[in-house]
Amino acid sequence: MHYNNLGPMTVDEVLQCLEGGKISPAEAFTLFRNLNKSVEPISVAKEDSQEQLQDVLAELDSLIGLRGVKELVREIQAFVRIQKRRAVEQLATEPLVLHTVFKGNPGTGKTTVARILGRMYRHMEVLPRGHLVEVERADLVGEYIGHTAQKTREQIKKAIGGILFIDEAYSLARGGEKDFGKEAIDALVKAMEDHKDEFVLILAGYTNEMEFFLQSNPGLRSRFPLHIDFPDYNSSELLAIAELMLERRQYRLTEQARRRLVLLIQKGLRMEAYNFGNARTVRNWIELAIRRQAVRLVQKPGDMTRRDLLYIESEDFGEGW
Amino acid sequence: MRECIVIGKANVGKTLFAINFADYLKVTRLNIEFATPSGESYRRVLSVPLALQELISDQPHHTLGLQRIEIQMPGVKGRKYFALVDTSGLTEGIHGETLIRRAMAQTLAKVRDAHVILHLIDASRSGQVGAIEALGEVDWQVAQFGAMRTGYAILANKMDLKEAQNGLVQIRREFPGHVIFPVSALLKTGFEEVKQFVWRHL
Repeated sequence: MHYNNLGPMTVDEVLQCLEGGKISPAEAFTLFRNLNKSVEPISVAKEDSQEQLQDVLAELDSLIGLRGVKELVREIQAFVRIQKRRAVEQLATEPLVLHTVFKGNPGTGKTTVARILGRMYRHMEVLPRGHLVEVERADLVGEYIGHTAQKTREQIKKAIGGILFIDEAYSLARGGEKDFGKEAIDALVKAMEDHKDEFVLILAGYTNEMEFFLQSNPGLRSRFPLHIDFPDYNSSELLAIAELMLERRQYRLTEQARRRLVLLIQKGLRMEAYNFGNARTVRNWIELAIRRQAVRLVQKPGDMTRRDLLYIESEDFGEGW
Repeated sequence: MRECIVIGKANVGKTLFAINFADYLKVTRLNIEFATPSGESYRRVLSVPLALQELISDQPHHTLGLQRIEIQMPGVKGRKYFALVDTSGLTEGIHGETLIRRAMAQTLAKVRDAHVILHLIDASRSGQVGAIEALGEVDWQVAQFGAMRTGYAILANKMDLKEAQNGLVQIRREFPGHVIFPVSALLKTGFEEVKQFVWRHL
């Protein structure tokens, strides 16, 4: 057939030939089929995204603690991969509903894991962009009737192609029947139907409040097949987190400072878990200590040595609690 | 919006199927977006009877260009939004008229991105002597193209005609391994299976 002589063509070229009367529709379909076969650039890109996926998973593994979370993320990854493969083999597939509830105290890694999930979904071609839009009640709930749906829709629009992460989502149910929070929930549920497969919704908040929130909204509960619990860190995990943060900033703890930090962490854990912001509090302590070290070094008479710059002393942590 | 495209040779009943299928999915007023091969586009809202009266003809290539109907499909759980795209008929060989060739190019441009392809074949003609010619090269090539994707089904249309039974046998023999639904676009038979197929693949 003469179209064999035309050489490799792009989609547009095939359509132009068809329109120009150079090929018949049947020939155009044959050319289309061959176009689909020669997908080398795409497969190269795939390998690339495979590598990036491995990077994302390595980053997940580098997080301290969170064993249950890591296992579940691996499960999700495996599930998505198998469903995609089954689709290729034309086997029945489960719909990929990835809306998730994150339950845990503040500072237990929810936002960090959400960001990692976004990137993982992007590299697995579940979401085209995989970015994270982080919102809270005030970003969704409006001030007058109709305002809420509009604000919520705007946030959803921003999140299309990525993840909408609603922190302290239970607060949407606060205020009872007349509260506009309910309107936001309705708009979210509608968007989950209208933009199915286009974005992933993550609701995050304290364990008990989230449980209560989902129980009081059964329609919402059934739409979230994935629940991830973020347990509080124990003292050795918190210490490891602190040391990792310091290492990344090129600081070290003196032995005394280390002991002081352990005491602070233990004291924090003994107090009400609510007030102890877990990793976030530890990060604040570290940042405070770095600032205090700077003040101490500036006021110190004489020359600063490299060692001075490197080490955090116990006094830099201040009185703590 | 996801798209379900209706393709096939001229006069196999694509437009009748599109309108009656929309009617079957409980769309009473069809909001149709027309895109002509000359580059114009416009929108019309038609009732089902009016659409049947105005858009259907027994002359080939009555539908020129694309006719896109937006549909909310009710299912057991929730509903899905999609566009049902009716297209110009494909011809065997190269057509002499530029406008018709351009309309076919519009069809092909759409086919590549569609989530679901419903390929209509006239079963009443396929059963006649010289069935291979009736089925033709273009149907075979479309099926080959469809075999590379998941949301592709063949609709053996005009099952209300008595010759169609033989034609269905012939189609099944010619296209082994494909999803084939016998339908009558006129009497709306076999639509439930098609609906479920579309639902699964959107």
